[in-house]
Amino acid sequence: MSEVNLVIAGRAGQGLQVISRTLGRMLVRTGHHVFISQDVMSRIRGGHSFARVRASTKPVAADGDKTQVLVALDPSLVARHVPDLAEDAVVVTEATDDLPEGLNAVRLPLADLAREHGEDPVMANAAAVGAVLALVGLEPDGLDEMFGSQFAHKGSDVVKRNVAAAEAGFRAISEDRVRCCPHQLLRTEDGRQKTGDAGRKPDRVLISGAEALALGAIAAGVRVVTGYPMSPATPIVEYCFRHARQAGLIVEQTEDEVSAANLAIGAAFAGARAMVCTAGGGFCLMNEALSLDGMTEVPLVWCVGMRPGPATGMATRTAQADVLFSIYAGHGEFPRAVLTPADASQSFRAARDAFRIAERYQTPAIILFDQFMADALWTVDRDELTMDGRRERREPEELKPYSYRRYEATASGVSPLLFPGTPEQLVYADSDEHTEEGHITESRAMRILMVNKRDSKLAGIRQDLEAAKVEDMAEGEAEVLAFCFGSARGVVAEAVTRLRGEGRKVAMVHLKHVWPFPADAVSGLVGDGRKVVTVEQNYSGQLAQLLLQECGLRAAGTVRRYDGRPFTVAEVEAGLRELMGATSG
Amino acid sequence: MAEDKAWSTSAEVTWCPGCGNFGILAAFRQALAASGLEPWQVVVVGGIGQAGKVAQYVGANFLHGLHGRAIPHALGVKLTNPELKVIAVGGDGDMYGEGGNHLLHAFRRNPDIVCLAHNNGVYGLTKGQAAPTSGPGFAVKNREAGTRMPAFNPLAAGLAMGGSFIARGFAGDIKHLSRLIGEALEHKGFGFIDILQPCVTYNYVNTAEWYRKRVYDLELESHNPLDADAARARILEWPAEGDDVEIPIGVFYRSRRPAYETCGRVEVRTASAERRGADPVSVVKKAMEEFR
Repeated sequence: MSEVNLVIAGRAGQGLQVISRTLGRMLVRTGHHVFISQDVMSRIRGGHSFARVRASTKPVAADGDKTQVLVALDPSLVARHVPDLAEDAVVVTEATDDLPEGLNAVRLPLADLAREHGEDPVMANAAAVGAVLALVGLEPDGLDEMFGSQFAHKGSDVVKRNVAAAEAGFRAISEDRVRCCPHQLLRTEDGRQKTGDAGRKPDRVLISGAEALALGAIAAGVRVVTGYPMSPATPIVEYCFRHARQAGLIVEQTEDEVSAANLAIGAAFAGARAMVCTAGGGFCLMNEALSLDGMTEVPLVWCVGMRPGPATGMATRTAQADVLFSIYAGHGEFPRAVLTPADASQSFRAARDAFRIAERYQTPAIILFDQFMADALWTVDRDELTMDGRRERREPEELKPYSYRRYEATASGVSPLLFPGTPEQLVYADSDEHTEEGHITESRAMRILMVNKRDSKLAGIRQDLEAAKVEDMAEGEAEVLAFCFGSARGVVAEAVTRLRGEGRKVAMVHLKHVWPFPADAVSGLVGDGRKVVTVEQNYSGQLAQLLLQECGLRAAGTVRRYDGRPFTVAEVEAGLRELMGATSG
Repeated sequence: MAEDKAWSTSAEVTWCPGCGNFGILAAFRQALAASGLEPWQVVVVGGIGQAGKVAQYVGANFLHGLHGRAIPHALGVKLTNPELKVIAVGGDGDMYGEGGNHLLHAFRRNPDIVCLAHNNGVYGLTKGQAAPTSGPGFAVKNREAGTRMPAFNPLAAGLAMGGSFIARGFAGDIKHLSRLIGEALEHKGFGFIDILQPCVTYNYVNTAEWYRKRVYDLELESHNPLDADAARARILEWPAEGDDVEIPIGVFYRSRRPAYETCGRVEVRTASAERRGADPVSVVKKAMEEFR
């Protein structure tokens, strides 16, 4: 296996996201698996932001441990990354004398190269891309196509100048310094990169969690997307907006979150596959609409992004602290699904699953994600990203004119669904407790009928969703199960793999949905004797609380993190080792 | 004009006897009957309050939703299926209090929906608190000395926000009101009507008799609704303090701004009808190339 961990640091406005994505795509094209996470300050210019780029010949879904190549577009940022540098790390930065002692530094006049070849010092980021390619032993092939797709909207001149700057950066390294970097990605004899894939040519893409969610919704046939800008949900709406014309979408940025949610409910009532996107704070504002969604039984998908709260918290950082909130949000009792995809691939499929649940059970389906997952770039096999726009709507049998009953009581709790505009039928959606037709009622018997009808749908949703399973080792071997949900999966999986390498009998259970809680499957996995621990990014151990509440299982401990930064593999490994104590290995 | 029996439902009407809502409902039904629309082609979105209940009584499709949110619901319905005629109905608390932000932006957006704001200057469903349109000194049970703020002028807000159809009706003049609603239904844009309405239970000041003495029809004064300056002057006549105020009703202002759904700058397509040229499959395919 060959693997390189890079960090690209700079000030907001220096084009870090472009550089990390371009580099990442180059690496994926050469057959590598790439994982990129973003550490971004909540400001538009200045500050200190960085991207971690991990490239490997094996699948990767978490940041690596130590930084082997640091690219600092601003030399003054180098010092902050020194504690994370590997002993043999290479530091690429501007020509400067002002660097910490003892570094293997490659001083490159990145801004000058950019000015000379790209006619713009901001293209220092492109020069850095070329330099990194040369350092890790790759060729600068396909740069024009790469920048072409990134900067198509800026015109061919900008593309050309970026390519020129990148090539200049490449030459600056390759012409005299190629041996200075011990961190090389594998090459074959003919100069092409060798990968772990035998036979089939890999066909992979590098895509963010947010893009995968949006694309999954488009693939599932979404028609109306609403939102009010708020990190980390904004990129989903923006992606949909960019493709609105071609995908046939109506994308609405409303005056506030309340309007976004209610507009989506109106759209879904009128027959559109609709999705509303927000973050925790916006979701608070939308709670009355969520409750209305439950009462009116309108099929609607809710994308809710977690970031550290309460209140504004840390706007551009990550957390998993809105799990219980999502399960219980909205007044009154009504069924819902809460899906917690781990990565881009699962997000794409979560969109499809959410529309299926929303339509089949005429109820809110929440996709709960977090900033880390949404902003990270994941390597995904194209096969995993395929279309599925089937309708799951149950239409009524033949009807006499003006006889449709929107809330007809059925054994499953799901009523046949028509949309307004159906000739000679009227469709009512009612926020008040209502009769089967949909008119206001205060009848006790009708109230009980309707509560039972609505809440009985949860049983169907429970059956519909895939049960939880032990993901990474043969059934029966593990003595300790590490439970996690959402974006923690990649980190926990790698930590568990390392521990197993030491002979520890531990396995991971990742929950792709937390509501309806897969209680039977979880209880079955745990059996009589297995120790249960959780790994989650919140203070109070919300998954541990769910395990106790839904399964009567008391977790032996929780590996937690709540500083707004994502877990590292090393800390989860250490945390699990501590919790396992003497019980295992 | 006779009320068409198609525009009725089995729902029990639960307003107080003598409520101004009866007049508004009658005018609304007359306008719908005269419109040539079938009930299944119409969606009435109601807020929560006595006015919002109109949605349940008209005999069309309805979404009876939340307090203050009728406009977002109506917009969602209209964008999804522009072939539907969509009317948002709510009281003064609904449209001017809880949903004020949506109303302001609806004037800007100019969707092709009708908005009926029942304005009785008091909260009925919650039993007699001050409304945004309660005038200064209006005594309510939780503030006997009267409200301390001037009444909200929704027509002035509408004009400032670029509203394309700004009108006021009176529940006590059903013939005039049904004609106004008919004009709003035909208007291609946001057809807004503030409807003066007595509350027989909680508003002892602005009674039917009080209004009847003061309202006058703009049309009889040869008001030109295409003249924004004239509209502004008429709009500012009321709410105002004093016993000798006169209250204009009718269409204050109209313009031919394109409706939101047909406005060239926004990419709005029907979700239900054939989407010309839309091709989600190719978007996903192309994305695969972009992310490679």
